Amino acid sequence: MNKKLITTTLSTLAIAVGGITAAQASDWPERPLTMVIGFNPGGSTDIQGRVLANVMEDYLGQPVNVVNQPGAGSAVAFTRLANNTDEGYTFLFGGTTALTFTPIISDVDYEIDDFEYLAALAVGQNAIVTSAEQPFETFDDIIEYGRDNPMTYAQQTALDQAIIENVAEEEGLDLSIVPTGGGGGMAPLVLGKEVDFAYSGGTHAQYTPSGEMVVAAFLSAERSPFYPDVPTLMELGYDYSIEDYRTIIVPEGIPDEAREALISAAEYASESERFRETTEDNTFFPVVFIGQDEMEDSVRRIRAATEEVMGD
Amino acid sequence: MNMDFVAGAIGEALSLRSFIGIGGGVLLGYIIGVIPGLNRSVAIAIAIPLTFYMSPFIAISFLIGLSKGTAAGSAVSAILLNAPGEASSAATCLDGYPLARQGRPKTALKVGLFASVMGDILATTILIFVAIPFARVALMFGPYEMAAILAFALVFIAGLSSGSLFKGLAAGGLGIFLGTIGLDAQTGLPRMTFGYTELMDGMPLIAVAIGTLALSEMFVQSERLRYERDSMSVKLDNSDKDKLSWKEFRRTIPSILRGTGVGTVVGALPGLGPSVGSFMSYGMAKKASKTPERFGQGAPEGIAASESADNAVIPAALIPLFGLGIPGNVSAALLVGAFAIHGITVGPLLLRDEPELLYSIFAGMIVASLIMLVLGWFGLRIFAQITRVPPHIVIPIVIFFCLAGIMLQGYGPFGLIILVAFALLGFVMKRYDYSFVTFLVAFIITPMLELNLRQSIILSRGDPMVLMNRPIAVFFIVCTIIALFMLAWRTVKKGKPVAGGDPAA
Repeated sequence: MNKKLITTTLSTLAIAVGGITAAQASDWPERPLTMVIGFNPGGSTDIQGRVLANVMEDYLGQPVNVVNQPGAGSAVAFTRLANNTDEGYTFLFGGTTALTFTPIISDVDYEIDDFEYLAALAVGQNAIVTSAEQPFETFDDIIEYGRDNPMTYAQQTALDQAIIENVAEEEGLDLSIVPTGGGGGMAPLVLGKEVDFAYSGGTHAQYTPSGEMVVAAFLSAERSPFYPDVPTLMELGYDYSIEDYRTIIVPEGIPDEAREALISAAEYASESERFRETTEDNTFFPVVFIGQDEMEDSVRRIRAATEEVMGD
Repeated sequence: MNMDFVAGAIGEALSLRSFIGIGGGVLLGYIIGVIPGLNRSVAIAIAIPLTFYMSPFIAISFLIGLSKGTAAGSAVSAILLNAPGEASSAATCLDGYPLARQGRPKTALKVGLFASVMGDILATTILIFVAIPFARVALMFGPYEMAAILAFALVFIAGLSSGSLFKGLAAGGLGIFLGTIGLDAQTGLPRMTFGYTELMDGMPLIAVAIGTLALSEMFVQSERLRYERDSMSVKLDNSDKDKLSWKEFRRTIPSILRGTGVGTVVGALPGLGPSVGSFMSYGMAKKASKTPERFGQGAPEGIAASESADNAVIPAALIPLFGLGIPGNVSAALLVGAFAIHGITVGPLLLRDEPELLYSIFAGMIVASLIMLVLGWFGLRIFAQITRVPPHIVIPIVIFFCLAGIMLQGYGPFGLIILVAFALLGFVMKRYDYSFVTFLVAFIITPMLELNLRQSIILSRGDPMVLMNRPIAVFFIVCTIIALFMLAWRTVKKGKPVAGGDPAA
């Protein structure tokens, strides 16, 4: 092999490499990214996040590594993210409850203004569920039954407990409320009829297809496309809702090019068949694309509404 | 049993990926088992972070394979070094080392291996046939039953694993105290977190476990290293008399069957570790023998009795775990943590919601036993060499894995601080003979006990008459009270005073 050939090959390579770089709209990202998930592997946020990372990787042309930082419903991950100076190379994917609710009841080292809310990609599912073997099915049935009988309710957060307590007071129910520690603890209590009804943050998707568990009402702002006949609490005349969006969140003040690249990657993901299939078919979360302006407002609006409920 | 699931599970267990995962687990377990001083809980604690990137089935099978490997591997050092790879193989030394010294080390190793594999396969089969109907019954258990069973398990474990009632209460009390740290399950308010967000989910289990079990053990080993020099291990030669004949092996079969039975019962009861199983089995084999004087002089039946029981304990300890979600010993408690990492709540709902996973794990356990047989048979000489690896090489490697495991978990420097703090605590507990098993099990059980107890009290609206419809709960409450009285009585009989008269206070 002569020297000239090597030189030619090298220059061809250089052009090819230069061409690839030029083909991208901007230079960002120049190195691999990190997606933080504030929960353990295997949960719905993790399942959705891993597919999202994959799709964003295709779009951004750099690897997106998923890191789980579980603890206190993502409060641990947000604490660390608030102090992150990675200029957009590290971002979090997850629900907003740790921002709209957690700071109200516990002393955390971060606030809503510490972050930017680039794009929401899925709508959280908060439901009131009961067992199919109970003598009631709809939320109205539950209230009706509760007027004559003492009732039991399984909570998962102080927020859903506060809402149900308010409803019980308005309707004059005699209600005992038990903690469950999460969806995994809720299911056996409901299915074993130890409690009359319960809160579910998404676990119901595992039990409603077999007909064992029934969704009586949604706490979310809108009906779920997967249970079109189930009304929301708002529609039933109770002025409460729990809104939660699975959002891409970064520390406040990242460079503009990083912000733009992440938002367009998120928009690309919301249209991706792969992300939609996993999120909607496996976890029953509707996929959306809500831009930064609207999300910044939503987070603050939800926070104010939550403070009002918890203030009671 | 649904045949589709079973077929699918067997298919999954026989895939290449699972062979590599399970085989890797057994091999790693075997090596750790052979090295004296590294025991089963150390192995599981440092291996859990390695499973982050595996599928739930591979991860759990890997860890169970690892436990099985340690049980078989610990016999090697017991036989060749007269130093058991872990306490549960101490009974194997009694006959294994004399037989090896008589120039028959390979015979001893092979008897140990066959006994381990047979005990393992039989106990796994028992697990499969007992756990499923048990889980069906357990599905009907509500918070009352669970609270009663958990209270019973806690008292039972504390009573068995501590020599002294007070040291047991101290260790258990510390575990309960640390178990209450974190967000309150109902109000969501932080308890004793002192403003650390990292503590909101409680003391991180993996850091606590690796600290108290693995890292502290390395401190203990390093200390011992200063005073003790290694004994020489027996070499393997190709001598004609060192062959295991069928006739000789046949004589050990009754010991193996008895050992499996003892190991299964001991394993299924919470709190009784494999050491109890192997010594009990050894004692029973000696009693049943027509020539008990041969025991201690190199009787193959002695090796078989100890090793079969040691291995049978492992699958049996999974009966309460899969059936009720209650860990019977520290290794099983660590598995709860491993399941949680993969987003799976272990307990009776596992059978209902993820039967494929459960059947795959069962199939994987059988595969692990067979891999253990093959590895043990062909790796005999290599494993014999490992007994010669000096501790000053082993200790730094294990310490590295402890630290790396915590960083992998994503807790950052905070996790390292917790790790080192609990390593020091574990060291002090081991040094002054406080049961760290009682401490850890209490720490792990407390959140479950608290939640179920709270649920019971709220749901009953404070009315104890609810229990009239709950015979199972009443049964376990009575058992708990009896266990408490027996503990107190035992302490009084030994001439030690009981403070305040009531051990429950």
